[in-house]
Amino acid sequence: MSEVAYGRLKSKKRRTRTMNMITLVAVVFFAILALFPIWWIFRTSLMTNAEIYRYPPALIPGNWLFSNYEKTLEIFKFWKYLWNTMLIIVPSCLAGTFTATLCGYAFARLRFRGKNLIWSLCIGSMLLPAMVTLIPLYIGWTRGLGVSDSYWPLILPYFCGGGAFNIFLIRQFIMSIPRELDQAATIDGAGYFQILFSIIMPAIRPAMIVVALFIFIGLWNDLLQQMIYINSSDKYTIALGLTNFRGQLKSDWSMTMAATCLSFAPGVIFYLIGQKYFVEGITLTGLKN
Amino acid sequence: METVNKLPKRRSRFHSSEARVAYICLIPAFFGLVFLTYLPLLGVLGISLTNWTGLKPPEFIGIENYIKLFTTDPYIKDSIITTIYFAVLSVIGSMIYSLFIAMMLNRKIPARSFFRAVFYIPYVLPAVAIYVGWSWLYEGNFGFFNYLLSEIGLNKILFIADSSFVVPSLSLISVWLAGNLIVIFLAGLQNVPNVYHEAAEMDGANSWQRFLHITLPCMTPIIFYNLLMSLIANLQVVTPALALTNGGPGNSTRFLTYLMYDQAFVNYKLGYACATTLIIFAILAGFTLVLFKTSNRWIYNEGGEDK
Repeated sequence: MSEVAYGRLKSKKRRTRTMNMITLVAVVFFAILALFPIWWIFRTSLMTNAEIYRYPPALIPGNWLFSNYEKTLEIFKFWKYLWNTMLIIVPSCLAGTFTATLCGYAFARLRFRGKNLIWSLCIGSMLLPAMVTLIPLYIGWTRGLGVSDSYWPLILPYFCGGGAFNIFLIRQFIMSIPRELDQAATIDGAGYFQILFSIIMPAIRPAMIVVALFIFIGLWNDLLQQMIYINSSDKYTIALGLTNFRGQLKSDWSMTMAATCLSFAPGVIFYLIGQKYFVEGITLTGLKN
Repeated sequence: METVNKLPKRRSRFHSSEARVAYICLIPAFFGLVFLTYLPLLGVLGISLTNWTGLKPPEFIGIENYIKLFTTDPYIKDSIITTIYFAVLSVIGSMIYSLFIAMMLNRKIPARSFFRAVFYIPYVLPAVAIYVGWSWLYEGNFGFFNYLLSEIGLNKILFIADSSFVVPSLSLISVWLAGNLIVIFLAGLQNVPNVYHEAAEMDGANSWQRFLHITLPCMTPIIFYNLLMSLIANLQVVTPALALTNGGPGNSTRFLTYLMYDQAFVNYKLGYACATTLIIFAILAGFTLVLFKTSNRWIYNEGGEDK
């Protein structure tokens, strides 16, 4: 009997191993598929235009023309655009994360009059897609405040709590931290802000990083708002610069792809540095909600 | 949650300093809620009842904008259909793709975190660059996809320059971008208790049955979250139209948000565009509501686990 069970176990183990092997092959296949567009774009960026139009197309460029990038950089002011983009992203991420943490703390831990009302207003705004308020905000900025061709309309909203979703996320996180920690600190004479800065903030660091990442990705992917608020070309972000560049050079695919690859680079580098937090953070949002 | 009134009197001093701290913490959010959310929301409503073009002072015209939208607007009907078509294709595609990839990554295979990174990476690239890059793959003569088609002996397709292929082509890019869904699904799969699988295996359930009766029910809350998030995001699609197609070819990518952009920032019909905005909002709200209403029918809730 035990031999039968042993045999079954062994065959099961073997079966699992074959299944894992098949899965691995499939994963490798899909991974190649997923990376292929990026490779194709990159390989095009290193070719002469003649080589691009050759049939059949080469998977690997004959000789790697990095000079395409030099040519591209003469028109596509990548460093300028990157700097401009960072001028928007960095303050937004910092301010958004900080103010979201403040609000999340108030909602998670503090008692005050009107909490329910403010909280429901906050949650209510989460259901409101950003594009709904686009036109009135645009009118407010340009007509009301006379601001145009400026980054402020893009940055300043993040000084105001960083969005309801992020506040919600931080609140959920703080609520999962045992209150005993705060109470112990209160007994030691710590004030509310001290508790926030020395106990809560270190404990919710992963959540704060996620919030920063969400703000980063949101701004990184945005084109609509940058398009309506930024006019002059020396204020262009990567998104605007690339859109414009493509319009100018419709048929020069190698240069367009070089500009595309340049625009990819910061995201990839940023991801490789923060990979752990990216994955950890995105994971947390999925499970917390 | 509301403990304010139940607090004993003797703690009122403690309580007032607590409230003061809370109000200080909430100043930024308060500004945001008032000036960036609710006032603008009222603004959309108000402006949608005017004929404002930005040049002359607005005149109140009642619901005329809405009447025009529903009766004489040449774009809105197709725009709604196009947007929903794109969103449904993208959502279904990316849900299936990401769940499938996540299930494979959930098995014990070597270099799992490397593969996870591979599938995730499209998500961190700037959207505009992705669309520009893919437009080359979709190019009508020398693009990679046309090379594939000619290799298997089919005619060339213009993809994003062909009004009947452009929406599916853009949806495929959305599916490719679904790396964040994969990561969330993977986390959910890792949370499915192993004991269930073992018990089912004892009872002789094969892997398909286990997927159907254990994995899927346990995953329903996460499927719901991903479904909601990707539906809302895809219904607001605008970037490919702005960066690549300008609503074309023809009107085949005149997505609702692009239509609104076009009305407001190209033709300066601010009042009219606000009416369109509210229609988009209603559509989004409708989809969200339907999802929530039907959710309790298919979401499996483990007792006591809910928040």
